Amino acid sequence: MTNTVTEIVLQDQIRASRWRSMISLYWMLAKTAMQARFQYRASNYFYMIGMVVEPTIYLVVWRTIAESSGGAVGGYTAGTFAAYYIVWTLVRNMNIVFTPFGWEIRIREGELSGQLLRPVHPIHYDLGFFIGWKVIVIVLWIPIAAVLSLAFHPTFDPSIEQCIVFFVAIWGAYLIRSMLLWVLGMITFWTTRVSALFEAYFMAELLLSGRLVPMTLMPGWVQGLSWFLPFRWTFGFPITALVGPISKTELVVGVLAQIGWVLFGVLLVKVVWRRGIRKFSAVGG
Amino acid sequence: MTIPPARIQVEHLEKVFAVPVREAGLRASLRSLVHREVREVRAVNGVSFTIEPGEVVGFLGPNGAGKTTTLKMLSGLLQPSGGKATVLGYEPGCRDPGMLSRLALVMGNRNQLQWDLPAMDSFELNRAIYRIPRPEFVEMRDELIDLLDIGELVTKPVRNLSLGERMKVEIAGSLLHRPTILFLDEPTIGLDITMQKRIRSFISEYNRRYGATVVLTSHYMADVQALCKRVIIIHHGNVLFDGDLATLSQKFAATKTVVVRFEQMNTSTANEVGVPDLSRYGTVVSVVDGAVSLSVSRDQVASITAQILSEHSVLDLTIEDPPIDDVIERVFADGVSGEAVPGD
Amino acid sequence: MTDKTAKMNVTSFRPVRAPRLAWSFFRIGAMNELQYRSNFFLQLLQSVLTLGAGLVGLAVVFGRTTNLSGWTRPELLVVMGVFTMVGGITNTFVVPNMQKLVEDIQRGTLDFALTKPADAQTLVSVRQISIWRSVDILTGLIVLIVGVVQLGDNNNGIKGATSLVMLLLLGSWTIYCFWLILASSAFWFIRVNEMQELFQGLFRSGQYPVRIYPGWMRFGLTFLVPIAFAVTVPAEAATNRLTGITVVVALAAAALFGIGSRWIWRTGLRRYSGASA
Repeated sequence: MTNTVTEIVLQDQIRASRWRSMISLYWMLAKTAMQARFQYRASNYFYMIGMVVEPTIYLVVWRTIAESSGGAVGGYTAGTFAAYYIVWTLVRNMNIVFTPFGWEIRIREGELSGQLLRPVHPIHYDLGFFIGWKVIVIVLWIPIAAVLSLAFHPTFDPSIEQCIVFFVAIWGAYLIRSMLLWVLGMITFWTTRVSALFEAYFMAELLLSGRLVPMTLMPGWVQGLSWFLPFRWTFGFPITALVGPISKTELVVGVLAQIGWVLFGVLLVKVVWRRGIRKFSAVGG
Repeated sequence: MTIPPARIQVEHLEKVFAVPVREAGLRASLRSLVHREVREVRAVNGVSFTIEPGEVVGFLGPNGAGKTTTLKMLSGLLQPSGGKATVLGYEPGCRDPGMLSRLALVMGNRNQLQWDLPAMDSFELNRAIYRIPRPEFVEMRDELIDLLDIGELVTKPVRNLSLGERMKVEIAGSLLHRPTILFLDEPTIGLDITMQKRIRSFISEYNRRYGATVVLTSHYMADVQALCKRVIIIHHGNVLFDGDLATLSQKFAATKTVVVRFEQMNTSTANEVGVPDLSRYGTVVSVVDGAVSLSVSRDQVASITAQILSEHSVLDLTIEDPPIDDVIERVFADGVSGEAVPGD
Repeated sequence: MTDKTAKMNVTSFRPVRAPRLAWSFFRIGAMNELQYRSNFFLQLLQSVLTLGAGLVGLAVVFGRTTNLSGWTRPELLVVMGVFTMVGGITNTFVVPNMQKLVEDIQRGTLDFALTKPADAQTLVSVRQISIWRSVDILTGLIVLIVGVVQLGDNNNGIKGATSLVMLLLLGSWTIYCFWLILASSAFWFIRVNEMQELFQGLFRSGQYPVRIYPGWMRFGLTFLVPIAFAVTVPAEAATNRLTGITVVVALAAAALFGIGSRWIWRTGLRRYSGASA
């Protein structure tokens, strides 16, 4: 077989079926991530158990308050608090994406340059890899949720629609946060003095997302503010979608809000990436 | 459908960096808060050449000469400040996927394979990234494994491999998509002699089998001598020489090196080190372990050699071209004008 | 070799050398870090943000109730303050050393500790310092003082303050011993880093008094991971909840952890030097 014939065949088929190759790429990325991550079983568990401490603290505190306030506070009973914070652990894990702090290392160690040499937008690597991690995380989460349920007796009774919306919402949250944190990370193209900005962002997110407490327990103005920010749609919304109480309208609104934020995120990534790469390839490489 | 020819055309390519300047001292620090002083560094200063498909070309030059910068511009990682470059018919800066899936840039110690997994798994991932159809992928992969002799290595996690083994596996991973243009930046750096030789023979074989255009930068003259018929010498961002190695030697080497090994000393002229003093025949370059290296001008080689052989008891005598490094240093010293010195 | 050096090589480990050693390392470490002034502002920001989040949490809690398991708001402020201070002390003096220790064990570069004329445990425990993390000590102290002031007559006055300081030091010592045990596990296990992360996560439970947690958690957070002794007990000193029994138990725990950690350290060290022989 001569070289030129092979090449013609090769290039021809490369053009065929872009969608199929995208799916194949994501599948490979996720599979690779799962394989690599799976080796570190023990460390995965330590990591997840460490993460469970935070919601357990909140849970115990609010359960105590609920019990001493006649059974419920802010519409939540001890049981629904337990449900909230147990589902919290899954949503928290779904929210984990490539950290903006990692961009500096990525640029400095040439990983980004390596990615730029390939004919694929680097964001796919992050999206694909983390999807793989998520699958492992979901699997590891089940026993943890079981243990927590035994200890704290959650009460919740979701409808079918709630379950469906929940499943969609956790992946929506993953996409939104991937996009937004990518944009944050890309600021590193212009300056490396970004730590303070990132810290402030995460702090705002902590307070305005429903991570600290269910948003309905926050003062009115905080709730109002959180409507316009992406945080509650990545955290509080998926949890309340499953745990309730939530109306059908609120479910729809939430999904629409997530779609809006995903689109906004994608647009922002496109714009900032183009500028960022221009800056990077003017000096870096 | 036409496949773009693997040609590289460069016209007056320039790259200027603005490097912030700051002196030591408190006052300078304060001043720099208000007014950032910048110094212009011309890393690439108007470089032009054309490389035809299938050529193997070596970029030579000291550190900071602009070799790596040029390669980066040709692969789209760096935007030029001036001039024009065409690679595979594309403008590299546009980073067209069509171009990227046909070229490869391999840098000495970069790790692109998954650290915790066997290389085989990373190869599969690369297949998905480059959208290589399975039959072609398997064929290329197996050929690479065979050529690089990494059959046993690809099933071990990359972190368990030695540096040389890792290099080989990384190279394999970078070539799965059968690029027609290969940029190699210091491919043998940090490797032992055996490994260097293997990599060299691999590159040569890859060029022969697939007709790929290869541009390689290296510090090791052995790399260049083994692989490149054509050499482009870059210094201070300029092309000082563009032609073949043989011409380089001829044009710029005015001397040859005579290396003499001695059996016994001629005691009347012995110096402290224990070998005869040969300084009257030419310039003594070095005396190492009883072997004297002598730099002698080309036209006098025959007569000097005869003299040495008759006047001393010689164990071994060889006549060599001066190390290419020396030749090149002379090129640098002589070629300050910045004009390309064409070869034949 | 002068007389002085001869004497140094002959004498065995003396407890009094530790503070001097610590001081020398402290000076060098501090001078090194003080160069990076921007780190100070970053650390201050982090400290304020983290503390702020904790205080917001408290505010939300006390927007809905007047006491938490019998603890009032000023008392919880005291706990938060002590928590932050202990975090600051640990992150400044203990954690950098323990992380470096794990690194050295994993890379096999611990040999220097075995060849110097000072006790190896002291050496590896005092050589590093993260001076900017001490900002937490300051911010925590401020919150603590605010809480104490708000307690008014309910605090313990001078007696409370002294016992607070002493129990704080005792608790920090206990946490240090725990960290040493954690780091020493690197002599036997490879992936210790995640255990450290786990502990850092667990430590957060100290921002509330350990007594509010359910029984099994309380037990774990007292006797397995001595967070209660590090945070809750000193806080109780300042809020006039301290009992004699608690003090005795705290002293016993400190002694046990001290002896236990030293034993584990020495066993591990023997294993290490045996392995590399």
